[in-house]
Amino acid sequence: MHRLVARLTLAALAPSIVAASLLAQGAPPPLVTPQELLQGLPADGSRWLTFGGGYDNHRHSPLTQITPDNVSRLAAQWVFQTDTPARFETTPLLRDNVLYVTGPLNLAWALDARTGREIWRYRRELPPTGSLTACCGLVNKGFGVLGDRLFMTTLDAHVIALDMKTGGVVWDTTMEDYSKGYASTIAPLVVKDKVIVGVAGGEYGIRGFIDAYDAATGKRAWRFYTIPGPGEPGNDTWAGDSWQRGGASVWVTGAYDPDMNLLYYGIGNPGPDYHSDSRKGDNLYSDSIVALDADTGKLRWHYQFTPHDLHDWDATEVPILADLAIGGRPRKVVMFANRNGFYYTLDRVTGELLVAKPFVITTWAKEIGRDGRPVLLPGNVPDEQGSLTCPDVTGATNFWPPTYDPQQRLFFVNAREVCATFYAWRQEYVPGERFTGGAAQRARGPDQRAYGALRAIDPVTGERKWEFEYITPSTSGLLSTASGVIFSGDAEGNFLAIDARSGAFLWRFQMGSALHGTSAITYMVDGRQHVLVPAGTTLTAWALPDVPRVAPTR
Amino acid sequence: MPFIGAALVVFVLSVSQVVAQDVLVTITANPLEGDAEAIKAGMGAYRVRCADCHGMDARGIRSPDITQVWARGRTDGALFRTIRNGVTGTEMPSFPAPRTSDLDIWRILAYLKTLAAAATTEPVRGSATAGQGVFAAQCLACHRVGTAGGHLGPDLSRIGIARARAALSRQIRGGMTDVRTGYEPVTLTTPGGEQIQGLKKNEDLFSVQIMDTTERIQGYLREDMRAVTNGRQSAMPAFSPERLSDADLDDLLAYLTSLQGAAK
Repeated sequence: MHRLVARLTLAALAPSIVAASLLAQGAPPPLVTPQELLQGLPADGSRWLTFGGGYDNHRHSPLTQITPDNVSRLAAQWVFQTDTPARFETTPLLRDNVLYVTGPLNLAWALDARTGREIWRYRRELPPTGSLTACCGLVNKGFGVLGDRLFMTTLDAHVIALDMKTGGVVWDTTMEDYSKGYASTIAPLVVKDKVIVGVAGGEYGIRGFIDAYDAATGKRAWRFYTIPGPGEPGNDTWAGDSWQRGGASVWVTGAYDPDMNLLYYGIGNPGPDYHSDSRKGDNLYSDSIVALDADTGKLRWHYQFTPHDLHDWDATEVPILADLAIGGRPRKVVMFANRNGFYYTLDRVTGELLVAKPFVITTWAKEIGRDGRPVLLPGNVPDEQGSLTCPDVTGATNFWPPTYDPQQRLFFVNAREVCATFYAWRQEYVPGERFTGGAAQRARGPDQRAYGALRAIDPVTGERKWEFEYITPSTSGLLSTASGVIFSGDAEGNFLAIDARSGAFLWRFQMGSALHGTSAITYMVDGRQHVLVPAGTTLTAWALPDVPRVAPTR
Repeated sequence: MPFIGAALVVFVLSVSQVVAQDVLVTITANPLEGDAEAIKAGMGAYRVRCADCHGMDARGIRSPDITQVWARGRTDGALFRTIRNGVTGTEMPSFPAPRTSDLDIWRILAYLKTLAAAATTEPVRGSATAGQGVFAAQCLACHRVGTAGGHLGPDLSRIGIARARAALSRQIRGGMTDVRTGYEPVTLTTPGGEQIQGLKKNEDLFSVQIMDTTERIQGYLREDMRAVTNGRQSAMPAFSPERLSDADLDDLLAYLTSLQGAAK
């Protein structure tokens, strides 16, 4: 780790020496250090450096300038527009009053956080969009950062490093051949000297993996296949050769525990999604959470939420780490609200299941048994005629980030109450083609009410503390703050502030587009707390108008 | 099978190149016609994405019978474009790439071909000219054809290509089983107790946008209203035989099915 910092520092100094001899302006701007990444969200609000704010993925800011009492006075500071037809699904990063933002079609920008003005723009030369296989939009979920470099995954399944000052490409490494159904949209997680990424393609018959790349060189350090190969434990949970194209993609950023040096990642659905005769067995590690050694990628433990999934319930939700007392014992836990309808608290040292409770109406499993396996209910196997199951294919929740408030010990999540008719039929695998073996359609009819709710869950019991109901299901992520404000969004395009203690409505603004899969972030600029909202093709910065600005000294 | 698979890959590449140049019109024959796997996959896709409107047997529920499209002279290429682009002025949506691939569409057509039937000629009943008179008397206040008519109900300028005759007949006689989005009846009650009746154009947690019975379009904040009450029944009246004779209905249906006007 120390050697890496030294190496990066030298690399950054080389051009500065030239500049110094010409301009004599003093020391170059400090590099992003592993220590800063470990600190997460600092009390002074000067940084947002990882997907979840910190390695624990709390997305819970220590900032308190904006409160439940004054949030209704928020005023727009600026709006940035991408001028693209596709939307943001990104978490922007902030450092030294500059925002680093990835957009659709692998566009990326550095923006002045004071004004929203562009400093540089990166645009990747992509293969024809018709040949890209991202199932669900040509999107990207954000940068990782270390030293003077930003790291991004691409729709043609590369991972690249950009120079923070210019957006120039430093290195470009191919993860896999995109024409075989691989793509990548995940925000990299930088841990020590490695860039951790994963691949999408669960609907295209890929064999999923998590990769680590050397931040300095772009050389691959390790690969963990999310489907074990022949001779490895778990390969026998896939019938025949189905493991070769079983999906198990990785497209949502995990968490990291530095004390145990373990990464926690949720794994995607098995393929084909709905017709499963060809993949008899539990299909490890699809729909699981895996704990991996960050240095080697070796598996420490796993827990499978949905063995032999038939409903495309990727476990690609955001894992959140916390320390809790459960049953009178202090526990290091990982919390997980799953697409399959259950909320889980697991011991993150051992993988032991501590709490499992439905947080929406679920009709496929009665409960999670003492052995950690769901107790299945009949009538939920998709076929050519269709079978009705709750939750629907999009799930009880999905990739939009939840948050955790350690003061209140509450887990906040945008939940969906929707059922669907699931169909299945046999399908032959064609490389690069969609490989789902079926489809799903939202259930209709007068007795089918589809709606959503922001729910506060006690992670010790799985009980709901309060909820704020939406008229339709929301796909917005969340941001919470130490002052007790939750920022959310609904499907109708309202950006919302909700009281974290009661679930009461505080404030709204119609953004003109939903926060689809995105969360607001918050940080300080010139003494004023800002809230930044990616919605549709816009980024909008908000702050309190009556807080005096402190002009920078340099 | 592997051989066919390889052939398909080559085909995918060539089609995507063709699409890029926007000369897809040159593909006139379904390359997957008769392919058992494609038919199977097409059946699933059809049931999920098409059957709600066109029926599991493709004979049409509210949307037209599409078993006779080939018999009536439509080509594979033209049908492909209809699915890809949708039909403007009707509920038929577009299915754009990349979400729907070219092969997805060919598969649906391969399945649909297995349901294809000979063209039937229903005996012509009713007079479209007389039906226009019935329409003017009974429907024009709410529905629009071309530049004439009201705005409360859906525009019917292209209803002849959007609806099967039987579906039109059912709906006129009172079989409106669902309410089209944008036409749900809603009643707003003001703090003073006044009621505003209208059709809901949009809504969110905080507001509702309506066209009231005077055709005024207006948005209201929920907090300004004592109540916002959704109606359950379509605003379209049921025309029983006492109100509209069978002969008048035949004339009206002859007129409506003739409405295949240009999209606006």
